[in-house]
Amino acid sequence: MSERLAVPREWVLNAESEYRFELDPGTSVAIKLVRGQAEIFGAELVEGKTYFFYEECKAAIFTWQGCTIEITGQPSTEYISDETAMNAYGNIHLALEAMRIRALDRTKSNQPQGYGSDSQSSEPPRVLILGPENSGKTSLAKILLNYATRAAQDWCPMLVNVDPGEGASMLPGTISAAAIPAPLQTSTPAHRLGRAATTAPTHMTSNSLLPLAYWYGHAEVKRNPLLLDRLIRNLGENVWDRHEDDTQGRVSGVIIDTPSSFAANTGGNADHRQALIKACVDAFRINVILVVGHEKLNAEMQRTYAKHITVVKVPKSGGVVELDAPYRSRIHKYQMHSYFYGERFTLPPGMPSLTSAPAAAGYLVGGEQIMDFTLAPSSFVVPFGDLTMWRIGEETMAPSSALPIGATRVVSEMQPIQVDPSQAGSGLYNAVLALLASPNPDESERYDEEILDLHVVGFIVITNLDIPNKKMTVLAPTQTSLVGKTAIVGTFEWEE
Amino acid sequence: MSLYPQSQGYAQVGYAHAGPAYPPHQPPPQPSYYGVTQAMFYADPTHFRRDYTARLGQLTFNSRPHIQSLSMIAQDYTRYADIVVQCVEQHIRRAPPHTKLPAFYLLDAMSKNVFDPYARLFAPVVVRLFLDTYEVVDQATRHKMEEMLGTWRTGAPTGRQLFGVVAQQAIEREIWGGQSTQSVVRRLPVLSHRRPRSTRGKQNTSRPGQAPISTAQVLSELEFVLSSKERTLQVNPYDKQAATHVQILQQLRKVVQAGVPQDDLGQILTQLRTISPAAPTVAQAPPVVPISQPYPSSSSAAPYHYPTPVTLPSIPSASYPISPSYPPSNPVLPKAEPAEISSLTSVASAPVASTSTLPSVLPINVSSLFNKIMQTGVLSSSASSTPPGSRSATQREDSAAPSDTVELAKEYTNTVLTSAPKLTSVDILKHKPAVAQLLYSRLPGQCKQCGLRFPVDASGKKRLEEHLDMHFAQNRKASQANGRGYNRSWFVSIDDWLNDGIADPKGKRRAVGFKATVKGGAADEAAQRDAELRAMRVVVPPGDETKSFSCPICKEILKPEFNEDDEEWVWRNAVLKDERIYHATCHAEAMLSKTSLATRLKEETGRSRSQTPELLRSPARANLSLPGEPMKGGSPSPSKLVGSKRKVDAEGSVSSRDSPTPPMKKVALSAA
Ligand SMILES: [Zn+2]
Ligand SMILES: [Zn+2]
Repeated sequence: MSERLAVPREWVLNAESEYRFELDPGTSVAIKLVRGQAEIFGAELVEGKTYFFYEECKAAIFTWQGCTIEITGQPSTEYISDETAMNAYGNIHLALEAMRIRALDRTKSNQPQGYGSDSQSSEPPRVLILGPENSGKTSLAKILLNYATRAAQDWCPMLVNVDPGEGASMLPGTISAAAIPAPLQTSTPAHRLGRAATTAPTHMTSNSLLPLAYWYGHAEVKRNPLLLDRLIRNLGENVWDRHEDDTQGRVSGVIIDTPSSFAANTGGNADHRQALIKACVDAFRINVILVVGHEKLNAEMQRTYAKHITVVKVPKSGGVVELDAPYRSRIHKYQMHSYFYGERFTLPPGMPSLTSAPAAAGYLVGGEQIMDFTLAPSSFVVPFGDLTMWRIGEETMAPSSALPIGATRVVSEMQPIQVDPSQAGSGLYNAVLALLASPNPDESERYDEEILDLHVVGFIVITNLDIPNKKMTVLAPTQTSLVGKTAIVGTFEWEE
Repeated sequence: MSLYPQSQGYAQVGYAHAGPAYPPHQPPPQPSYYGVTQAMFYADPTHFRRDYTARLGQLTFNSRPHIQSLSMIAQDYTRYADIVVQCVEQHIRRAPPHTKLPAFYLLDAMSKNVFDPYARLFAPVVVRLFLDTYEVVDQATRHKMEEMLGTWRTGAPTGRQLFGVVAQQAIEREIWGGQSTQSVVRRLPVLSHRRPRSTRGKQNTSRPGQAPISTAQVLSELEFVLSSKERTLQVNPYDKQAATHVQILQQLRKVVQAGVPQDDLGQILTQLRTISPAAPTVAQAPPVVPISQPYPSSSSAAPYHYPTPVTLPSIPSASYPISPSYPPSNPVLPKAEPAEISSLTSVASAPVASTSTLPSVLPINVSSLFNKIMQTGVLSSSASSTPPGSRSATQREDSAAPSDTVELAKEYTNTVLTSAPKLTSVDILKHKPAVAQLLYSRLPGQCKQCGLRFPVDASGKKRLEEHLDMHFAQNRKASQANGRGYNRSWFVSIDDWLNDGIADPKGKRRAVGFKATVKGGAADEAAQRDAELRAMRVVVPPGDETKSFSCPICKEILKPEFNEDDEEWVWRNAVLKDERIYHATCHAEAMLSKTSLATRLKEETGRSRSQTPELLRSPARANLSLPGEPMKGGSPSPSKLVGSKRKVDAEGSVSSRDSPTPPMKKVALSAA
């Protein structure tokens, strides 16, 4: 990167247009709303504050009323467009808002809850967003969530992410649900859908989310669709359970972001794709399906579900950009790094540093004043025996020659197989593991596959294996005892 | 395995282990005179004092980076806050007149950004310091000081006077004259509400015994109105009316600067207060009435009008004085009565041509100037047949908003239900959604820190206040925890997750952008409790406003503040316990460890048993004795149910958490 000083540049946006930008690796931009009103994926910007974007962030500043913004730093791409889908998205928000209001009304008038067609009109919105790759599903989910939180109606919609490649407020490999009480911020693709809580004080609740997650362990849906199906149903059950007692949350509704493979009707995907959509529809009692920019899928969904569910074809935003595999793998690195160490970035050259700028400079990183996101993880050495590690449905990578003669590898997709760290080729070095909640303390309640139904309490990475001494080095968010704990390894690796 | 050293700065550290995605980089270049701050480390107070004084000495012109850097040091070294305050005061006193102003900007920045302790510590000295400085500086500097003074009216995180009402009033009285003794101050807001509309115009010119109105005073108020209009224009660049106002006010400023007779000054002042949509609000309030109503009181019969969205001041909203005018961080929820709006409207619709010729006819009778503008406006309003007071639909849509919470809610519901399209692929493309109205103009009260908006009814106002307290608490938390190091929290247990949504059945806390988080969010929990405690208040017994009481625990003086809503003096962050007045925060902390409280109080109690008789008669409020109560049973152990699902019904009690605070939290919430 050249170190030339960046001169702030002003852009004037007309009403209902947006400024789109993309960043190169290692660069950042600062954007200040000089006058007017503007929002980023539905979250309002505060006039006069300076917002930072980094880690190859691709985003758009949209304005309903017109505004002037000031950009410091050099995006690799930047332009203004008035071809947005915001009118459609705004209308969808209004329609969902009307559903919330009716649902709350009904709750207040104490009518019984039901799922019959006559009560359909007073059910809260439970929205499944489908669409092919790069159609802007996640952005749409974010806008709808953010608009709901801004309505000043005390809504607290549930964000559900069933795309294991995305990570939402935690890490890829998970599917998760989190209540969203305040607008989700935008600053880095590492946290497109909010941040899970840290011990740091935060100003935005969306930066200290309390997600519930299950570990699928892979980015790709096709790797183990059966497992994903089961986890989706687990998640749905818990969301339902929680909403039973939480009227305001229930009425606020659920917005579900899905993987693009749900929409890709190519090759042998069709079966599991249909099954997984069905799993979502059942588990979350979906009553609205939004199909983003995909005529064929829309027709298919209409055919399959339109009897009981509102299926709507939604235009794709012109601002959606292609995200290739190398990009996604870099984002995974940012996410891993951010999980353990928080976020750091280089300011656009020439700006007063974050440490020397007082609060009055109005610097905001993801809605927070500076320096709130630097985290200190722990690294420690533990005996192999402290932690029980499992892989789901996959044999360890032992060479075939190690198998007894005539034996074939037959492992069911749901079968937990214990991983032995002392075995060469355990695949544990640099592996990302999900640490699980404790199993049921009541032995009689235990069952073979219980491990599949335990949610995630955090992530660890094995950074060193000392096989002779039967010890390993573990990186964890904070110091903890692993004795008696259970973890699952997937196919994610991370090296600092 | 290597860890990132926590002490390294945020932006200075590259990704040491990173691959090509993170190229190594240099910290951005900085001018040397303030770039040194990063390396600062002070072994002892003496060293600190010497260094800070030296740095202050370099503050010889209005340098934004330098002011920022000095303010930053002050923020980092709040343990030396006393020293900082002494240094700054001394510097201002000793500096030659032309270099005093930058130091005042520093004082302003510190007090706004790090309200506690700096505003608190400056409060006792700021009056004398301001007035002494004001006396010796030139006219231009005075003008800037007046602008700064204006921002102090709402400079506190709560939107109140930065250094307290007493200090604010003392300064304003000195420099603008007037008769605002304390009793007047307490009476005036009432007057301004109940004054019959017909006498409104004569208020200022005909009051006997009134101190002469100075040009400076008029100019100062004019600046406030002007800047508020300019701000409206910024918020909505397409607001023609605001544009016209700005133009007219700029002309008027020239006229006043050129000099006008005393009578006209009075007229202008009256007109200004009339024209200002925010006349009785904090920022635009007439200087002789330093206490004002930040919100329309719902008891008043007049319907209220909420013009284009304005923003509420919040914690670190100071903007820096590079440009000649120091932008006040003012605008507050405006309130205007119909008569004012109509004159405003007619002024607004005056053809530009007719007003632009006015400055050339100097000297003129300014009051007739206004009349002329208004008349012209009325005459030329034929362009649109809408009566004065009803502007374009979007502009005035919210003006019909009743102050009643229920009505507001109903209106929102109706708007959504009537404007929501059918959820079909075709219908969502048909009309433009009313998003700009529902998410922006309907919610004029905006938090300047995070952008969240609130309605302007009573409940919205309360929520915004709570919300600002939350930011304040988080800021404090962040500044105190510096260097301790944070980490990612473990995710919550399933039981906690299932019950997280019902901790507050109304979702109130979440809606204000803050929620106590379980486990990992223990800090948040504490911060919230802190915010709740700080919101508690005790009414000062009449006559005791000027007496000083100190908190038995921290020994700090409790400073009374005027509560505009109830029109009474209160101590904030205060509780009355055993006829003693404590900081609510101090008391709660002490209650967590009763033994330590006992220890701390032993000597105090032993020394003086004397009670303050006035305090005994103090009108006790329902919330006075609450914070300690849940602890009465002894140690603050949570009623924790291990293992079982901790569900409670929505109307029931707060679900128990892992943190030992829920009972107290609940009580504090309901008391707030
Ligand atoms: Zn805020
Ligand atoms: Zn105290």
